[in-house]
Amino acid sequence: MKRKKINIAFYIITIPMAVLFFMFHTFPFLQGIFYSFTDWKGYGNWNFVGLRNYLQIFKDPNVIKSYLFTFKFAFFATILVNIFSLMLACGLNSKIKGKNLLRAVYFLPYMLGVLIIGYVFNFIFANLVPMVGEFLNIEALKVNILGTKHAWIGVLIVTIWQSLAFNTLIYISGLQTVDRDLYEAADLDGAIGLKRFFKITFPLIAPFFTINMVLCVKGFLMAFDQFMAMTGGGPGTSTTTISLLIYKKGFQGAQFAYQSANAVLLFIVVVTISIFQLKVLEGREEKVN
Amino acid sequence: MKKKIISLFLAGTMVTGMLAVNANAADAVDLELFSTKSENVSTLQGLIDKFTEANPGVTITITAPSDAGTVLKTRLTKNDIPDIIACGGDATYTELQSAGVLEDLSGEDYLSSIQDAYWQMLYDVNKEKEETAYGVPYATNASGILYNKDIFEQAGVEVPETWTELQSVVDTLEAAGIQPFELTFKDNWTCLPPWNSMAPVIPAANFTDERKAGNTTFVGTHEEILEKYAYLLEHAQKDYMGTTYSDGNKLFAEGNAAMMINGNWAIPEFLNSNADMNVDMFAFPSTDDASKNTITSGIDVLLAVSSQSDDAKKAAAKEFISFMIDAENAQQYIDEQFAFSAVIGVEQTNETVASAQAAISEGKVSNFPDHYYPSGFDLASILSEFALNVTNGMDLEENIQSTLATCDEQYDVANVE
Repeated sequence: MKRKKINIAFYIITIPMAVLFFMFHTFPFLQGIFYSFTDWKGYGNWNFVGLRNYLQIFKDPNVIKSYLFTFKFAFFATILVNIFSLMLACGLNSKIKGKNLLRAVYFLPYMLGVLIIGYVFNFIFANLVPMVGEFLNIEALKVNILGTKHAWIGVLIVTIWQSLAFNTLIYISGLQTVDRDLYEAADLDGAIGLKRFFKITFPLIAPFFTINMVLCVKGFLMAFDQFMAMTGGGPGTSTTTISLLIYKKGFQGAQFAYQSANAVLLFIVVVTISIFQLKVLEGREEKVN
Repeated sequence: MKKKIISLFLAGTMVTGMLAVNANAADAVDLELFSTKSENVSTLQGLIDKFTEANPGVTITITAPSDAGTVLKTRLTKNDIPDIIACGGDATYTELQSAGVLEDLSGEDYLSSIQDAYWQMLYDVNKEKEETAYGVPYATNASGILYNKDIFEQAGVEVPETWTELQSVVDTLEAAGIQPFELTFKDNWTCLPPWNSMAPVIPAANFTDERKAGNTTFVGTHEEILEKYAYLLEHAQKDYMGTTYSDGNKLFAEGNAAMMINGNWAIPEFLNSNADMNVDMFAFPSTDDASKNTITSGIDVLLAVSSQSDDAKKAAAKEFISFMIDAENAQQYIDEQFAFSAVIGVEQTNETVASAQAAISEGKVSNFPDHYYPSGFDLASILSEFALNVTNGMDLEENIQSTLATCDEQYDVANVE
């Protein structure tokens, strides 16, 4: 069999990226795994310590607390983001006036950096919301929510607002793949409103639902920027996510190797959950089709 | 085909190679000054220019990266030590000193012009607490209670010297409808200053050493501190957990509160929002024994020389330190940096810190206790948690016990070599 000649342009496109990716992503990742078996502080000498770091993680109350917090945050953020973005996508996909303007408005938060949004909302929560609370005389709004035990809800609101954009976009593109004829047929059979949504639309955009769920869970389990910008993990350590803990203790607390082990564990957790989600959700897709 | 790919790669590596430019001066003594404090670079540059003008054979380049402590420790492992190091009297210094890369400066004639209290602080952060000058304390900072002089005058209260007096000041202010304290716990490092003021005074003097050795605990020694801490919280503005450092500074400068517990570094911030503010600082009255209460003052900048440089460089570096300690130059440094000087006779004349300067001149100072805690010990978060519990209405006794227990637990986790 004669092989077809392959254009060199494809190599030029792919190989440099592969090398860069290996240098700046894969190699540091492997290095991190390597150091997780040592007692390296981030500088100085080191020794192999075997699995000591990994065993210590399960006994460390700081780590356990931040895992529980991160799961709680990811759970609520994923569900709420998906509900709201699906609703928005349905609305923006209909034949309303000013549709394009609205789409642009909802997409705007995605174009701003999370850090910038964080600082803007810091100001809103610290100054504007208490002013409104004072005006309406609502006790709960009079203080900066980021300084209370409900600080995580403040961050959750901002995260939802910011993440809506991208998920909505995916759902809109999903909705556009649905054949209009199906809706007409459904109309004739008397499936309208919510019934039409659950019986026709939702099953047909199932693959997009899967993508969104997996991306959301992955993203929120690794949440970092929004907490860094808005609470710094506080008050106390009540909003310290795993990524934030790894960063804080690893770079500032001279626990580089130990937190590398924590990062490896986080990687395993995220991969496991993602695979599990894919299995379950894809199974559901097949059932529908 | 393959050759083309390879040559593309080579071209790529050559471009990156060109970025590493090599600059080498032949004859002149070329020194590197490493500063861990990016805020003082322009002041240092001004003094360096003055020095090199008088010493044409010497050039000094400043390096002041962000996250300087880590950079310095990394360079330590490569034995690439800067010729002159300007760092704080903290764990970074201890690391360098214990690695044996700092020149012993004992015997230099300018050492006698530094205040004893700061020598003691320097010796305390030497690994074995040996009384050897591996660095020269240069600039210092001060932390205590910052107060609005106009508000104090208007309410007719005097600067309190004891804890009881502070309580009566608070009562008088509140009766006059003035908010006593402005706290800014949204930025959780600001939870530290009240602790840093009380911790050197209230527990036994050898607590930090004993704790390090594991002979004592925070539980049983620090209860009084947290009781007084809770008192401060009770008399602060309502939303102290949600107020940021910059917002709080602005409110304080505008006269919304009479006192703020922080350090001299906050004063330029106040004056930025209100140039006419009359502010001063007094020692935190931790106890009812006025003679025991101190200003918390630490070595903000010390100057050290690398023992790894060659003799010509060492001589030039020592010459530079002697130049820096010269009264006129030390004065220029603290004037520009709003700091205090460790040099005897060099005083911060700015009246915004007059009382603090008086306390420092009298030697009524103690070091920041967190300089003695292990670097991974995140006390600020623990105190922020304590304050949060107070706002949630947790029983104070229970809160104090659980906070101190957390202190012990986290200290032990961080106290591994």
